Amino acid sequence: MQRDKFFREEKNVKHPNEELVKTHCSYCGMQCGMNLRVNKLTNKIIGVEPRYDWPVTHGKMCPKGVTAYQQTNHDDRLLKPLIRDDASLKGTKEGFREASWEEAYDLIAEKFGELQEKYGKDSLSVFSGVSMTNEKCYLTGKFARVAMGTRYIDYNGRFCMSSAAGGFLRSFGVDRGSTLPWTDVHETDCLFIAGSNTAECHPTSMFRVWAVQDRGGYLIVADPRETPVARRADVHLDLRPGTDLALANGILNLLIQNGYADESFINQHTNGFEETKELVKDFTPEYTSMITGVAIEKIEKAAEIYGKAPNAIVMFARGIEQQHKGVDNVSAYTNMALITGKIGRPKAGVATFTGQGNGQGGREHGQKSDLLPGYQKITNPEAVERVSKVWGIEPEEMPKPGVSAYEMFELMDNKTIRGLYLLCSNPAVSAPNLNFVRGAMKKLDFMVCGDFFLSESAEYADVILPSVSWSEDEGTTTNLEGRIIKINKAQEPIGESKPDWQMQVELAERLGKGKHFSHLKTAKDVAEEFRLASKGGVADYYGATWDKIDEQDGVFWPCKDKEDKGTPHMFLDKKFYHPDGRAKICALPYRPAAEEPCEKYPLRLTTGRVVYHYLSGNQTRRIQFLNDMCPEPYVEVHPITAEKYGIKHDEKILLFTRRGKCNYKVKITEAIREDTVFVPYHFGGDDSINLLTIAALDPMSKMPEFKACAAQIEKLKSGKVL
Amino acid sequence: MTTTKRKLYMELENCIGCRACLAACTQCGGHEERNRNYVYDVNPLVNRQTMPLMCLHCVDPACARSCPAQAIQIHETGAVLSALVEKCIGCQNCTIACPYGIPKFDEEENLMYKCDLCIDRTKDDIPPMCASVCPSHTLQWLSEDEINQKKQKHELDNDKWVTSLPHLEGDTHVTVNLPGILQGTTKLF
Ligand code: SF4
Ligand code: SF4
Ligand code: SF4
Repeated sequence: MQRDKFFREEKNVKHPNEELVKTHCSYCGMQCGMNLRVNKLTNKIIGVEPRYDWPVTHGKMCPKGVTAYQQTNHDDRLLKPLIRDDASLKGTKEGFREASWEEAYDLIAEKFGELQEKYGKDSLSVFSGVSMTNEKCYLTGKFARVAMGTRYIDYNGRFCMSSAAGGFLRSFGVDRGSTLPWTDVHETDCLFIAGSNTAECHPTSMFRVWAVQDRGGYLIVADPRETPVARRADVHLDLRPGTDLALANGILNLLIQNGYADESFINQHTNGFEETKELVKDFTPEYTSMITGVAIEKIEKAAEIYGKAPNAIVMFARGIEQQHKGVDNVSAYTNMALITGKIGRPKAGVATFTGQGNGQGGREHGQKSDLLPGYQKITNPEAVERVSKVWGIEPEEMPKPGVSAYEMFELMDNKTIRGLYLLCSNPAVSAPNLNFVRGAMKKLDFMVCGDFFLSESAEYADVILPSVSWSEDEGTTTNLEGRIIKINKAQEPIGESKPDWQMQVELAERLGKGKHFSHLKTAKDVAEEFRLASKGGVADYYGATWDKIDEQDGVFWPCKDKEDKGTPHMFLDKKFYHPDGRAKICALPYRPAAEEPCEKYPLRLTTGRVVYHYLSGNQTRRIQFLNDMCPEPYVEVHPITAEKYGIKHDEKILLFTRRGKCNYKVKITEAIREDTVFVPYHFGGDDSINLLTIAALDPMSKMPEFKACAAQIEKLKSGKVL
Repeated sequence: MTTTKRKLYMELENCIGCRACLAACTQCGGHEERNRNYVYDVNPLVNRQTMPLMCLHCVDPACARSCPAQAIQIHETGAVLSALVEKCIGCQNCTIACPYGIPKFDEEENLMYKCDLCIDRTKDDIPPMCASVCPSHTLQWLSEDEINQKKQKHELDNDKWVTSLPHLEGDTHVTVNLPGILQGTTKLF
């Protein structure tokens, strides 16, 4: 058990007739520890109590975590399967009737069968998510490939973590979101945070961030907005959205020019330094400043601080990753650690702030179009053989790689994909270029949706299967550190809702594939099979038993066997995961955003989150406290820009791009660039900013460019100040 | 573990405006899911600085002094409690008397309610809900020793350290550190 200086032994309040169930938050990658309060007379979850002894967060929670328990017994929960017979009502909430599980399963089996008979195995698809346990993520991958027999499975991590994954794989040969545990963060001497609104998106990291400054360390933040974390930064690099690659190259150039490159580290442990050095030469402070819009002095100061710092951690998030060069941005910022050798030891390294609760684990275990459990490539015959054995299929039966999340909608649009099983995701809000995506979902011949609330995406389904909330099932997730942790069950499923893994087992039986699934009777059964399936992969979970997770307060992967305690710090032996054991320093030519501002669309639109909402808002918009705090979207505009358009605080305006338009209330703030506007993305229907965003995909990660496109504002005639 | 009795301590500069403290206050036993604290945008339209406004649990509280019905009791720990249901006459004197505007008023119940420092927790030295969850260490539950250490570190004769404001209400059981906490920090390099 690691304990840091913030740890305190505290008691909990225990009310009469109450039990506290240890678990973690349902939402973001911080996976804050919490206790759910359960009334022993009604066996219902009734509240939350801090979990002071969780070593990462010590009882701290953001307002989403504090109110997370209110999801479980919420009035909006789906309690029975729903069927809609009238397909003309797709895209609305109307026309659903309650049905039995029998009827729902029968209908799904019949329709899936028909489609596959007529149009082939690959006419079906699975679109899943990573806000669920490793066990569920694992089984979803198996379900797609074994029970449905389709190549088309992908997941919402393509809109979240795929660029970080791609960048880490290229730089290190392994994709573990953080090279060190979070208990190191406050002990480093310099945090370089790029494209992370840490205070709102990963709030419980903040006491560690501030502690770096309290010790006299430095905080550098790169963000187009002066976010609450940028507000206190020693250097705020206020760059134009979409110009991170130039900034990273510029800083790299200065680090090299000013003698901060660690030559012995570079020579012994890396490849690619010389060509990178050559390439970044062009990124002089002047040139970098011209592209990024950041003052030369700030760029120089940031490079100086990072270079001098005995220990430093480079951290980033969706701000740099959700770009059509997201993978390059990740490798470019990672270069900073590699050329200075500030990696592979405690208190120094690289980390991404994982977005979704299980964004790390969920991307490792076979929901990605080209991956099998344990981060094994589906194109690697040995991996296919290993996993086929666990699944009880012939290697030849293993489907080929499919396509990425957004590309699946293109295949729905052209009718290559005709059936969809959607779960744990709400792409009708979270995907880019929504007019197209919603249209594609409408074209489906048959769609099944598993969810516990009727999401905007469920409105396109023919059958809705009521799943359980995180508190009504058990399993593991992998937090942003790469630490595998245990989610515990605090209440029985309400109504007729079921965990997704159970639905998949029962549905597999209907689809004639029972022999591969029927032995899975509990979440633990799934866990045991899943550990085995990951064995031998890069993300080896074989040694991460539930007992070990309990004993050790989590297990950092890789964890190969019973004796292995796991790997909190990566690369301590300076061995990276490429075959020659070296990390790759990448020479990355700059590319501008896919859509640069022009006369017609002169503003840069960027999107992001607020602290009160999670992802598409399907969960958090239903929680009263959170919705009261942020009931609707808005557009942040700098006062000078507002002046130009003659618009005022709280006035409704029209914001539009080449792809769509929305009406938003103006929020005036000086804490944003004059050339940039910002809209949070948690809202559905006509309020979704993703109606406007661009589906320019990163060539490697297939991540859409949510963070930069060209937009225009129009003052409404009726735009009265509300 | 510190055994000395602890106090609420605030470092306003740290606040990130997440309002977890408000959400947490609704979770405290006996709070009927209504929060009793406040978070303000210090400079809206300009920057994102925010700060919590909490009851300071004055040693000689104006709210209690102004109460004609002795409805506002002071707990042995020093916590200034919410009005006693059976005594509060709904006159709202306290909401006007408090220099910080802390007491809230429930029109329907004709009853004042305010921060009771989570008395069901703090009477056993369990941190109050808001300080338990606050992700930025703006709100902390610290021992006298720890508060004194903070004080020494931050005392700069620059009026940034405030433990009590004689011109307002005299001594309080809560200590506040106004923005400027980093001014005394020596940089590592
Ligand atoms: S949403 Fe994230 S930061 Fe907030 S309580 Fe949950 S896990 Fe913690
Ligand atoms: S919980 Fe802490 S950081 Fe969040 S608003 Fe309250 S005082 Fe500020
Ligand atoms: S101490 Fe308790 S009652 Fe007072 S503001 Fe904090 S949570 Fe609310």
